[in-house]
Amino acid sequence: MSVLLEAADEYAALERLHDLGCTDGLPVVVPTPDRVERMVVASGLPGDVSLGTMGPNHGNASIETVAACAVMAGCLPDHLPVVLGAVRAALDPRFDLTELQATTHAIAPFMIVNGPARHACGPIASGFGALGPGFRANASIGRALRLCMINIGGARAGVSDMALLGHSGKFTFCMAEDEESSPFEPLHVALGYDPSASTVTLVGTEAPHSVIFVGDADDPTAPDRLLTTLGLSLATVGANNAHFGGGTGVVVLNPDHAAVLHRAGLDRRSLAEAIWERAANPRSLMARLNPSMVRPPSGADEPFRAFRSPDDLVIIAGGGSGLYSMVLPSWAAGPHANPAVTAVVDLDQACEIPGFAGSA
Amino acid sequence: MRDGVNLARRDVPAVALVSSEFWAQGEFIARSVGMPDIPRVCFEHPVAGAGVAVMRRVAAAIRDDIVASLAARGVAS
Repeated sequence: MSVLLEAADEYAALERLHDLGCTDGLPVVVPTPDRVERMVVASGLPGDVSLGTMGPNHGNASIETVAACAVMAGCLPDHLPVVLGAVRAALDPRFDLTELQATTHAIAPFMIVNGPARHACGPIASGFGALGPGFRANASIGRALRLCMINIGGARAGVSDMALLGHSGKFTFCMAEDEESSPFEPLHVALGYDPSASTVTLVGTEAPHSVIFVGDADDPTAPDRLLTTLGLSLATVGANNAHFGGGTGVVVLNPDHAAVLHRAGLDRRSLAEAIWERAANPRSLMARLNPSMVRPPSGADEPFRAFRSPDDLVIIAGGGSGLYSMVLPSWAAGPHANPAVTAVVDLDQACEIPGFAGSA
Repeated sequence: MRDGVNLARRDVPAVALVSSEFWAQGEFIARSVGMPDIPRVCFEHPVAGAGVAVMRRVAAAIRDDIVASLAARGVAS
């Protein structure tokens, strides 16, 4: 249930929201009853429908409260189906949102959108600078989930969100997969969804790490060099994965790098296996760096893998053409050890609200 | 803190040990789960990686508080 605040004007309302800790520190669109009601109507669902309770404060994530956060984030009604899908994914018990919100680790839900919603609910950027500023849908949708985590889940830095530093993805962290440029099947299809379906996949991750690779079409070792760079970057010894040997790793391949690997005959499965195999450090090294968690090798040294299985790698295509891909190590903790969780984006329920953008 | 909550919900006598830096979070969790009086004892922060000597000192400092908390619930004497 929402709480109705009163203020003399828009400026005073914004300052009140800041004072109450209801913002992410940046200005928000004031969620007036009229604006929230129109966002609720856009959902095609009654406002009191509950998607679940959101930890750590066990707030009710109703259509209305999520809509209020979407308004605050600057969402258009078109964006709402992805926000609702993301909230459903975040509330999936496997996502361990309560623990994720409370951990001292720097983790944020990285949101990957697949299928027609990339266009119908956006456009949600997937190419040059997709994780940077300048794309309203990416910025607003990701921010809406964060504002839900603050206002419904009750996350407050140093009180209930104990991240020692956090990272900038805790403001907004959303992109689409570049399905059109990818030589591989889209993520949601690989997960068993129909190509016509729309999905949002959440993975709690660190901030993106840049991965440089300089290709050479005449170099037969080029694919292996790229795979090794990606694997070792995921297994960077500062990441929890390298120490815990678990969690989920995300790889965002730029179109050039994806093409190199595709030309080498790799498909999604063999690509995941190849990166997983290389995402490792010598056990002796990890035992030296963290003797309280990693046993030394009993005989000859052996690889200490950063992930349990190739299935624990989420690989998508995205970004611009050039030298850099991205990897995102993760938290690897919580009762379910930080899995990726995918939810369907329901485009059939949504209602068009003529003139909404101009009046919001 | 949540371990203490989960044990209390199973009627297992428990006292949550919460470091000073996390005391506010403990209060938040206690309120959010509807158990504001869940037993808890504060100890100095940090202890992670502080070594055996520090751990012994911290344990000695809070031992009586832990026993008192349990005794108040009829568990220890």
